[in-house]
Amino acid sequence: MTQDEVADQAQAEVVELPAASRATEIAVNELELVYAFIYARVGNRADAEDLTQQVALKAIPRLRQNAAASSIRGYLFATARSALGGFWSTRLGLSEAELREDLLPAPATDPPSEEGTETVQRILAELSDNYRRVLELRFLHGYSLKEVAKEMNSTVGAIKVMQLRALRAAAKVRPE
Amino acid sequence: MNGKRENRVEKIVSDLLRGRRLKLRGGDAEEKAAITTAARLAGVRQGPQRMQPAFRKRLARALEQPQGEGWVTRRAALVAGLGLAAGAAAGGFASRAFEPQPVHASDPIRPSNGRWIDVAAMGDLVEGQGKRVTAGGVGAFLFRHGDEVTAVSSICSHLPCELWWDGGHSHLVCPCHPATFAADGHPSDPYRHSALNKVYVRVVGGRVEVLGTE
Repeated sequence: MTQDEVADQAQAEVVELPAASRATEIAVNELELVYAFIYARVGNRADAEDLTQQVALKAIPRLRQNAAASSIRGYLFATARSALGGFWSTRLGLSEAELREDLLPAPATDPPSEEGTETVQRILAELSDNYRRVLELRFLHGYSLKEVAKEMNSTVGAIKVMQLRALRAAAKVRPE
Repeated sequence: MNGKRENRVEKIVSDLLRGRRLKLRGGDAEEKAAITTAARLAGVRQGPQRMQPAFRKRLARALEQPQGEGWVTRRAALVAGLGLAAGAAAGGFASRAFEPQPVHASDPIRPSNGRWIDVAAMGDLVEGQGKRVTAGGVGAFLFRHGDEVTAVSSICSHLPCELWWDGGHSHLVCPCHPATFAADGHPSDPYRHSALNKVYVRVVGGRVEVLGTE
């Protein structure tokens, strides 16, 4: 059998089996949103990939094939929130009970992949000018500490302290 | 948190902005609010992210594995459109090409110049708690079961990072990614990585010895 025939056979197999995997298909499509949701909370690709895989392996096998799409999304995001709770708990060496409730990811909004930027903008808007500026330059514009210090007419040491205080202050803001 | 907190948080911020994995340590919990906020800010700086093709393939391959009753079948994953049709035609080569080959990690560690190293007294070991020891170049976690002791490698079977013992959850935790292992070395999370290498251990006159190196 040639490679093309093998591919045709594989294609035929795909076409012949639509009903068997309806819930799986929905879930796999939702995983893009799950990945974006997780990435927006861990801030790096490697951890986001690990956690998304964890969610997929845990949630997809448990789906009922006739489940409603909204239920599938809800279950995937509930699993993602649980995985994120476990992630922070493990990385910080704290029990999940010790992680303050507000540190755990809030229930996902719809669509969950697009709320991150707006939420962060709302958080930054609540900060004092200096705190907002240092976080904007560092995180949104990608400035180095040195560049931030120059821009804000300050020293690297002072900016480091300001960055920590600004992050603490941002953590206290509750975006509506 | 050792040293000045602003320095430690800056190191974490700097790693995040370089796209690196979050590597935290025990004392970082004191700045948990600042750290989780930093991750969140770093996460939105490039807008909503999409899965990379290599990861989609790796994920498809993970879903393709038979995982027992109720797990996704290869056929279901094919229909789900995760790019496995090509993988099926090529015997799964495409997905494997993006992933390191599985680590064979179930063999016990038998150093070629091995010697028994005294690492602890039986009295130092607490039932149900792991104890980290080193025997020359071999790092291990010891577990007491009555009068017997078992040992597993202290290195994760997936990424070469030093594990730590989480007494609250009674498992070994990798600091580099969300992988956990039970005291017998078997994975206790959904990743199903290879088991940890066993380490030879014996009890002689109330002392615990591990087969290590000079």
